[in-house]
Amino acid sequence: MARSLFTTVGAAALRPAAGAVRVGRRAAAQAVDGAALAAADLVLNSKTAEEIVDRLADSPLFERAVSRALAGPLVEAVSRDVVQYAVLDRVAETILEGDALESVLERVDAAEVPRRVVDRMLADGIVEQTTARIVEGPELERAVDTALDSAAAERLVARVIESRLLDEAVDRLLESEDLWLLVEEIARSPAVTEAITQQSMGFADQVADGVRAGSRRADVWLERAARRALRRGAARNLPDEPTAPEVTPQ
Amino acid sequence: MSSMADRPPAPARVGARAQVVATQVHGEPAQPQLEYQGLITRAIAFTIDAVVVDVVAIVVTAAAALIVSALSLPNSFDTALVAAGAWLFLLWSAGYFVTFWSTTGQTLGNRVMQIRVVRAKDGGTLRPWRALLRLVGLMLAALPLFLGFLPILLTERRRGLQDVIGGSVVIGVPEAPKAEPVRAR
Repeated sequence: MARSLFTTVGAAALRPAAGAVRVGRRAAAQAVDGAALAAADLVLNSKTAEEIVDRLADSPLFERAVSRALAGPLVEAVSRDVVQYAVLDRVAETILEGDALESVLERVDAAEVPRRVVDRMLADGIVEQTTARIVEGPELERAVDTALDSAAAERLVARVIESRLLDEAVDRLLESEDLWLLVEEIARSPAVTEAITQQSMGFADQVADGVRAGSRRADVWLERAARRALRRGAARNLPDEPTAPEVTPQ
Repeated sequence: MSSMADRPPAPARVGARAQVVATQVHGEPAQPQLEYQGLITRAIAFTIDAVVVDVVAIVVTAAAALIVSALSLPNSFDTALVAAGAWLFLLWSAGYFVTFWSTTGQTLGNRVMQIRVVRAKDGGTLRPWRALLRLVGLMLAALPLFLGFLPILLTERRRGLQDVIGGSVVIGVPEAPKAEPVRAR
């Protein structure tokens, strides 16, 4: 009985001391954490740390390490994991489901970012440079060649030709006044009329050449025939030649 | 300094040079080889001329008839008009042939067939009265069933009755160089 009383009194007497110890330990831990963070900040913000990082980044060792990491299985492993755990899908889903994207787009639109980007691109001549590069470069030609050589292009052309669209386009073209004005203008142009005149004269010349050659051949033939007939007539009118006297055997 | 465009064409230059050489060798220029023209070629040329003469005459006659019909002249004028028309036609036909033979030596038909009527003795152009005689000779040759043209088939220089009367021969004309075709622009 006395023992339990002693224990109870002792515990009650020691309780404030234990609380004081806990408070002291917590304060000490907080002080240590604060000091560590302060030390870390001091280190990270120091010029020496910056210098160390710069030197590390410039060092061949760092380069080799990065190269080895990129050449090694790390990249494949990360890619595999990204694909396996559908990281991109999840990120995209999260972005699309939330209002963040909408608000970002609204803010971008409100700030007239697209207009400013376009203005900047036009002002800098980027569009012209890009267009010139595309037009002058071999890529466009290759792309066009590939597209034209493809079976899909053939099918597309065939479908366009077979479609009613082309017929309608041709009909509309034929009905338009402008087409006939254009045709009239071309037909009246000096180059076309001169070409037609030359062609007609060339054709007339060809016909005349043919007639001349034929008539000259006919002349020769007719004269031969006439002379032959004349010779035959003359031969017929000649008196018969006297027959040789018969030779009698002696 | 003459440009290339001023120079005569190559065949003409060669021909001129040949004349010089012939003059040095023979003492006189070389006579070009004349190609006397036959009956059929001349008949085709004459047919073309007849078409031209007749078409012009028909057009003029039609125009005159329209004018006369609009004037409503008395019937007695008709005979006089027909006679005048006949004389005009003869005049027009004779004028056509005489003019061409005595100037260029080529009627339109002759030009198409590339032949020319020239004097028989020296190859010059016929005088107008010779050309007129030739036209008379042409009619005379046609009168006896075209027998006057028969000597063209049989004589060396292919001369018919009209050529004998007119003192002419019909020769071929060398083809003129053709113009360059128009290039597309």
